[in-house]
Amino acid sequence: MKMGFEIHIQLNTQQKLFCGCNPGEIDTKTVSFGRKLRVSSSEMGEIDPAAAFEIKKGRSITYVSGDRTSCLVEADEEPPHNPNSEAIKSAIIISNLFSAGIVDEIHFMRKIVVDGSNTSGFQRTAIVGMDGRFVYVENVIGISTICLEEDAGRLVEKGENGPVYNLDRLGVPLLEITTEPVEADAATGEKIAAGIGRTLKLTGLFARGLGTIRQDVNVSVGNYGVVEVKGVQKLEQIRKVLEFEEKRQNWLVEVSRILNERKIREADFDAEIVNLTDLLRASNSQTIQRLLSDQNALALKAPGFSGLFAKEPVPDSRLGLDLADLCKLFGFKGIVHSDEISKYGIENQILNDMSRRLDLHENDGFILIFGDGERTSRCLEMARLRLKQSLNGPPSETRMATDKGATRFLRPRPGASRMYPETDIITILVSDEMKASYRVEMKSWESAVDDIADKYNIPHQVAEQLLDSDYLEWFTEAAVTFKSIPSTVIASVVLQTFEELRKDGIQANKVALFDILNLVSKGSIAKEAIPDVLRESLSQAISVESVIKRRGLSSISQEELKKIVASILKDSRRENVQKEKIYGVIMGRVMKQVRGKIDGMLVDQEVKRQIEEEFRSN
Amino acid sequence: MVQQIKPGQFVQLEYNGRLLEGLVMPRSLYEDEKHITLKLKNGYNIGLDSGKVRLVKVVEYETPAQPIEEKSYNEIGNGPRVLIMGTGGTIASKVDYRTGAVKPAFSAKEIVDMVPEIGNIASISIKTIMNELSENMKPENWSVMSNEVYKAFNSGYRGIVIAHGTDTMHYSASAVSFAIENPPGPVVFVGSQRSSDRPSSDSAINLQGAVTFAAKSNSSGVFVAMHAGLDDNLVAVHRGTRVRKNHTSRRDAFESVNDSPFAYIDIEKGTVKQENETTPQGKIKLMPNFLAKASIFKFHPGISESLANAVFGGDLLSIIIEGTGLGHVSREVFPHIRSAITEGKFVGMTSQCIWGSVGMTVYETGRDLMAMGVVPLGDMLSETALVKSMWALGNGLDLGSVMPLNLRGEIATRRPVEK
Ligand SMILES: [Zn+2]
Repeated sequence: MKMGFEIHIQLNTQQKLFCGCNPGEIDTKTVSFGRKLRVSSSEMGEIDPAAAFEIKKGRSITYVSGDRTSCLVEADEEPPHNPNSEAIKSAIIISNLFSAGIVDEIHFMRKIVVDGSNTSGFQRTAIVGMDGRFVYVENVIGISTICLEEDAGRLVEKGENGPVYNLDRLGVPLLEITTEPVEADAATGEKIAAGIGRTLKLTGLFARGLGTIRQDVNVSVGNYGVVEVKGVQKLEQIRKVLEFEEKRQNWLVEVSRILNERKIREADFDAEIVNLTDLLRASNSQTIQRLLSDQNALALKAPGFSGLFAKEPVPDSRLGLDLADLCKLFGFKGIVHSDEISKYGIENQILNDMSRRLDLHENDGFILIFGDGERTSRCLEMARLRLKQSLNGPPSETRMATDKGATRFLRPRPGASRMYPETDIITILVSDEMKASYRVEMKSWESAVDDIADKYNIPHQVAEQLLDSDYLEWFTEAAVTFKSIPSTVIASVVLQTFEELRKDGIQANKVALFDILNLVSKGSIAKEAIPDVLRESLSQAISVESVIKRRGLSSISQEELKKIVASILKDSRRENVQKEKIYGVIMGRVMKQVRGKIDGMLVDQEVKRQIEEEFRSN
Repeated sequence: MVQQIKPGQFVQLEYNGRLLEGLVMPRSLYEDEKHITLKLKNGYNIGLDSGKVRLVKVVEYETPAQPIEEKSYNEIGNGPRVLIMGTGGTIASKVDYRTGAVKPAFSAKEIVDMVPEIGNIASISIKTIMNELSENMKPENWSVMSNEVYKAFNSGYRGIVIAHGTDTMHYSASAVSFAIENPPGPVVFVGSQRSSDRPSSDSAINLQGAVTFAAKSNSSGVFVAMHAGLDDNLVAVHRGTRVRKNHTSRRDAFESVNDSPFAYIDIEKGTVKQENETTPQGKIKLMPNFLAKASIFKFHPGISESLANAVFGGDLLSIIIEGTGLGHVSREVFPHIRSAITEGKFVGMTSQCIWGSVGMTVYETGRDLMAMGVVPLGDMLSETALVKSMWALGNGLDLGSVMPLNLRGEIATRRPVEK
């Protein structure tokens, strides 16, 4: 398959790109306000039909502005300030790093974005470097552009009445690094992306933390449409996404072959939208009545699609799901399609009438939605287009990566970006001196790993994971602050505990990490308690101290431990536990009582000591 | 070779051993001539040192399309007849993404195409009466506006909307307020704080607000309709003599000073919320002349004697002082004021506090100034007082008696507690 990467990585400047706000500050209060965007009707639909429809309906976008993290600039109430010079410098450094040609003048452009994520209705972006290269083992991957751009607002909720964005992320400087397309397999793809990501991280110019690096992956098979997958935040996702897309797209190639075999032509897709409300009202199916409510049931014939909606070569890759996602853009909860109509318990007579009204023949399918008004017809027209596209294999579209490495339909791929000059910002001269001197001394990845492994006395493998992770800075700071705690313990918290929490949607927090390490270093709680306490603290947003109080976790002395082990051992004598099992049984019971209150190593030693004594004396 | 690269050419260039293709763009006035701007196929512009590029070939020439200036008066839309006058800048515009050029709308049809909502509020005509940037507006331009407004009312328009750059819009609104007595309907100035070429522009909502007021309100007078607050729904309508641009960039920069906004327009509902009514007290009367022999003197600590001398001893016939607090200046300025008044010049007092009225009987300084013949102008805005005195001079009125009088709502005897 062919793939290309667009890597967006956040620069760690003190201020945003076009104003003096620092996104890392904590807001003390917020205000919100509503706005509408206008895009002239001639270009509506070319950008994003669903978003354009939302705008045409006049749905308003709500913005939340915090007093510290955003100002009048992000609210689009003040012109942008001069671009942050640190950010310009970093963009030049990275362009040099990839041996790119650097422009003599940086011209910021306005790239039209109609989803509301930018208050202005456009994103400011500029090319700094072009036509560079990244050398990976023996391959050279072309870097087509290095752009300096502003991040968008943070979507807080999708909302019935329009999206809500927080402005704290808006205007944060990002570098966008775009590679040329390369022919590769999924494993190689992951290595390329990882290689570029690692190189960038080593420069020290970028922020760390979840969401500070995002990859868009462009994938295509054969000569079919390029699919842009957005929102790949973790490196491990890339390989899965690539594998998923290869299988999904190959299945769509197969779909087009089947449709052609079934002699389906473009003209077959022009059937009228059919109203099935009266037929379905007569059904005794409760599910159908609930879906129908007081709305209309409108259906579109899908010629030749019988059996093609439900089949999935990999989980979550079925065409029916794509069509449902498409309809969600217009506010529908989902669709009903012919491959699963049997599930709804509709009477055969009604099913036959539906078929007749839709003029279905062998192999034909249909899709059905419940709703009224313009959005219903617009939605079905877009669905019709998607069905028709199936004749020609996988279409160009934008998809969103899921946590599990699958992808879901997001929107049709827009045409070329709509861009025009950002006249509020002067062009920035890049002198030959700047080009020559803005460089960074880089050590190799291996030596960076060695350095960390040596400095903190941890295995190389762990050091490498730390370098790859979002939490290297937290780790190093903690390791220096809490010298009494072994570095491996801290590493395991940021690598394993945080990762497990992330999978459950719980966000890591530096304050909680330092609070708990502080208690461990003072001996107030045992290190074994860290995962559970952190989970409770972070998931319920209460302090580490309160969790410990609530749980009654406070440490016990070695004397107390001795007594507990002795008493448990005494109790188990009556049970006649086999000799070879005794350690496991006793250890389990003791830990149940003392977990988190004393170091597990001490428990292990004490249990072994007392068991040996017991059997020696017998 | 290098000299052959010209704007409008689609070229292939060699730059540092790399081959680049793109459209050569015109440079703006503020950009140097050492560089060229190239629009790449991906839509981005980049700047290249023209000394470092080598022209490989010109792929094709673009012939720049000439904008067609359709000055159409044809009416479009349904409802009361509203005339939109253009004075410069753009009311509505769209972007040509191929070249990045912003194309303004000229005809009624183009404007209604871009802001279709107004076609449902009124029957729209459009007329471009001048083409001036807001900061370049002069009293002569106010005369042209006033004459055009008079003509438009006489040819049966119900309301008039004047699109204007925002910087001096409140001066123009004030000027037309004085020049037209008893307009039979509303004259509404409108502008935008975010240019109309961007999706977030306030121009469409402001225009809807202005057209709604011009088409639906029965009030006689000159107003300014602009965004109220941060939200994109409410437009405030201010009296032309009471309004001031109080912020450099916010959408809600225009505020009524010493007065509540005259009305609010709810854009979504299309409704006008208005507590007071102004009805014409007689036939429409035009007094469109302005004499620019007036100025504002802003007093400050450490004011230069020579400046005071130039202002009060020059050829100005009316000087509006922006005094401190309730209307004061330091004693060093007294002799200059005294001699100006002796020469028959008008000297009026406003306050640089912006909010509140002058009160010249409270302190000795104020009483001394009044004794000299300085005329207190109540809570009139200094900008309004300036425009009013140019108008009074232009139409041969006696400033001493006209200036303190409330003619167009510019002076009030009471100020509400709530700002
Ligand atoms: Zn800011």
